Amino acid sequence: MDTKIDFQHKMSAHCETGTLTSLLSNVGLEITEPMAFGISHGIFFGYFKSKNFPFPTFIVRSRPGEIREKLSNALKIELKRFKFKNQEEGMQKLDSLLDEGHVVGTQVDFFYMDYLPEWIRVHNNVHFVNIIGKKDTDYIVSDSYHQRTANINSSLLKKARWAGGYMAPNGFLYYPLKVNPDVDLKKPIINGIKKACRNMLNIPIPFLGVKGIYKFADKINTWPQLTRDIEHLSHEIMKINILLEDQGTGGAGFRYMYATFLKQASNILNNPVLNEMSERIMEIGDDWRNISYFAAKIGKNRDLGANRIKELSELIRKQGDAEKKFFTDLKKVY
Amino acid sequence: MKEKDLYVEFEPQKLVYYVEKDDKSYGPIISGSQLSANYLDDFWIKRRNLEKKLRKRIIANEISPVFYYMTLQEMGPKDLASRIGISYLKLKRIFNPEHFKKLKVEKLTVLADIFNIPVSNLFQTFLIKDDDREKLVLEQETTENELYHITKVSVK
Repeated sequence: MDTKIDFQHKMSAHCETGTLTSLLSNVGLEITEPMAFGISHGIFFGYFKSKNFPFPTFIVRSRPGEIREKLSNALKIELKRFKFKNQEEGMQKLDSLLDEGHVVGTQVDFFYMDYLPEWIRVHNNVHFVNIIGKKDTDYIVSDSYHQRTANINSSLLKKARWAGGYMAPNGFLYYPLKVNPDVDLKKPIINGIKKACRNMLNIPIPFLGVKGIYKFADKINTWPQLTRDIEHLSHEIMKINILLEDQGTGGAGFRYMYATFLKQASNILNNPVLNEMSERIMEIGDDWRNISYFAAKIGKNRDLGANRIKELSELIRKQGDAEKKFFTDLKKVY
Repeated sequence: MKEKDLYVEFEPQKLVYYVEKDDKSYGPIISGSQLSANYLDDFWIKRRNLEKKLRKRIIANEISPVFYYMTLQEMGPKDLASRIGISYLKLKRIFNPEHFKKLKVEKLTVLADIFNIPVSNLFQTFLIKDDDREKLVLEQETTENELYHITKVSVK
């Protein structure tokens, strides 16, 4: 049976906050993407080397799925969640939820979203989209990274939902059951700020938080030894730009989005200090963006000698210093 | 980042960025990707060179198509092994063409499914000559038989 639920599609910076805020808006809770990000203390940094990845990488946000869980806890949102081992059962459940009129949040491997440009599609099991209907053998998808709703064939969606591997989606589905449209955001905002500071400053693991930025600054000097050739090194260096700007961060590795959150928080809490902090993290974001530009430029020019990489490393290290000071000062506000 | 400093026209890839607007407020705008707008040609050059290098290694029997697609699709080996349902050590063995040759069709379909390619593409590559790339288009269609695909070449 064909179904299409009335749903306002809109683009967002980030897939998890985008799908979540759209779902919540659909059931009456209006919350901005930066506010969802800030309350759920999504801002983060981590540097990783693992055989799950083809090359060392870094993250600029909390673990996928945590934004949804932290926000629902903070705002007392009741979510209905499902995971499936049996693929047929998982597809049938999706159909029945659509028939009942629910827009359904879904976790997928980004690689199979064939309506997006080929050059951006990589295997990444933590992409989130909303399914808003079904037509013949296609599902209708509201993807925050796409300008309009798109169709995806059911066999491809099935593949994307049960891709297996690192952080496998296992057919994950969710939708909001109950929200409070008049929820008071003040306390959740303050808690979100405190926890963000703790995560950035106090996790005793040498590659997480601000320590992760310093680790990145150190380790990038070893990248030339880890690459196949100059083109591989160029590709990995230019991926810094992708991870900071283009992979659903709102620019500058979520720092611009966090600045927007603090600006909104300043208004809600009537606290001008948060406005000043917002301007500071916006400037820190500008420096991350300069790193993105620099990485793209030296990568394209194959200007990747040891001195150039060291220069990049020093720029990253300065970001560590800036964020250490920023989060130390932010921590003092509450 | 001010709105005017960030905005780029690039229709194929639009993104949402948060910026400082003219009235000093912060909020989202939709802009083209700066990286794709300026550097996509470089991405494709590197990509084609990598394909070429890896293809040579397949032809020389140095690597298996599994290694070829894993590298091109930028997958981590442990992640790929987990998707296939085998150990990391076993995966490393099938990077070797001699071991790859011994795989059963059932396992090949699992691999093709992960890489989202027809099974037959584990044994062949279709190339369009540089001069003809603007004129020709190549499409591969699935059929009800999961082992059988149809490749259509047409003029644009």
